[in-house]
Amino acid sequence: MRSAVTSRYNMQTVLLLAPALLVLAAVFVIPLGRLFSLAFTDPAGTWVPFQTLLTSPVYRQVVANTLVVALAVTAICAVLAWPVAYVLSRLKGVWFVIALYGVLFPFWISVLVRTFSWMLLLERNGPLNRMLAGSGMTDGPIALLFNNTGVMIGMVHVLLPYMILPLYSAMTRIDRRLLLASDGLGAGLLDTFRRIYLPLCLPGLAGGATFVFLLSLGFFITPALLGGANAITLSMLIASFVNDRLAWSLAAAGSLALLLIVLLIMGLTAKMLPLEKGMFAK
Amino acid sequence: MSKLPLWLRIGGNSAASLVLGFLVLPILAVVPASFNKASFIYLPPRAYSGVWYERFLEDAEWRTSLLNSLQVAVLATAIAVVLGTLAAIGLRRLEGRWRAGITALFLAPMIVPVVVTAVALYRSALDVGLSGSILGMSLGHMILALPFVVINVGIALRGVDENWLKAASGLGGGPWTVFRTITLPNITPGIVGGAVFSFITSFDEVVVAVFLAGYSNKTLPVKIWESIRLEFTPVIAVAATMMIVLAIVLFAVAQLVSSGRETPTK
Repeated sequence: MRSAVTSRYNMQTVLLLAPALLVLAAVFVIPLGRLFSLAFTDPAGTWVPFQTLLTSPVYRQVVANTLVVALAVTAICAVLAWPVAYVLSRLKGVWFVIALYGVLFPFWISVLVRTFSWMLLLERNGPLNRMLAGSGMTDGPIALLFNNTGVMIGMVHVLLPYMILPLYSAMTRIDRRLLLASDGLGAGLLDTFRRIYLPLCLPGLAGGATFVFLLSLGFFITPALLGGANAITLSMLIASFVNDRLAWSLAAAGSLALLLIVLLIMGLTAKMLPLEKGMFAK
Repeated sequence: MSKLPLWLRIGGNSAASLVLGFLVLPILAVVPASFNKASFIYLPPRAYSGVWYERFLEDAEWRTSLLNSLQVAVLATAIAVVLGTLAAIGLRRLEGRWRAGITALFLAPMIVPVVVTAVALYRSALDVGLSGSILGMSLGHMILALPFVVINVGIALRGVDENWLKAASGLGGGPWTVFRTITLPNITPGIVGGAVFSFITSFDEVVVAVFLAGYSNKTLPVKIWESIRLEFTPVIAVAATMMIVLAIVLFAVAQLVSSGRETPTK
């Protein structure tokens, strides 16, 4: 009797999960598997696509550029996030809501639209260049678009909220009595920051940095539009293997490499950081 | 730290305001750009006019792309909401390692870089003849939207007490009656939230769509993407402004629904 009830319950659970799992398998897992299999079935030899990617100076340059841009974007985000996260953690009432919406609003706008906006602003004769020239800071228009400068500006803009929110979340959970205690015990401002505030913010900062770095590695739209041919990233290379060269085995090998890098970094961070489960729940 | 010196407080607030301005203001640049009178985008416009809005509505390609986007988003959202809601309910009945493992599987489309997903889907769509079809793009977007439904409904399900379900079925309610009378009313805000996320995800999505769209079934973001690479006319800014307005409207709807969730009226 009891086992009949249990087995019916289990049956229902399976039936609830089955449709989504089957569709996920058909439209996601199997296509990924088929793509990755192309990396190993090249007529030239099993490991040839990987060897090509690793040995060609052009491709190595692309991988290096991807890493440099991702690191720079992460570093810039880590700096810019501090004041916003701190002010958010101290504000109350209407001002808090306004500031929070300021951080969340960009999330709701398509990355394509935001990137297009930056194209208008960074153009050769765009408002930013005219402002810089008008204020006498530059002699003439400078190239802000179709190079790494443009890519980094656009990517920082898109990814900054991913750094602000975990950092803010870490800051709100700091017991302010610790800071008072440190102050009362005679520690200076810098000491209190360095020895109490910073270490307590570190999990949030590291979580945000991981997010931003991982998202940067796979970024496509923004580098493709703001960087163009002068600032190629790994994701653009993968797309061009498919679209321009029909080199499926290279696209597959590049995709697999990108995914493995992402998973590796995720695994390492999960090991090193005691990221609480509730951290990103908000 | 509790009492920062005045200069640091002023400095911090100014820096925070500048960064917030950097986050919000550039997005809005497309709005004045869309009202340019000239045939090229100049910011701020020398003369304003709504002529490019008319151009957008007159142009069959732009109109079709908007309709395609809506079709794809509705289809992707419908499938994602049904499958994701069932899956979230199923996940809640699992325990320990099973739940963690299957949840991770459902969240995987958020982790895999979208270019990789797009290329993989393109290859399979070519093989099964779904490339260049509305259905193919809908299925691709549905996969990207599924995690949002599973997460949102999963959070809403935490508010449903197991004992209510036991009581209801103990009183003779079949599984469907229990779902309809107890579970569904309590998770509706989660479903609506998931649906809004799904819709936005699909409506805004460009990478998967660029690969799967083909020649005849471009979505609005694909049309924007291609137009940017051809020429910079204010009609692109019109399309971008429409996407911003739609996002704000849906954002407001989601906020209304989720604030309804917090008011203890029942």
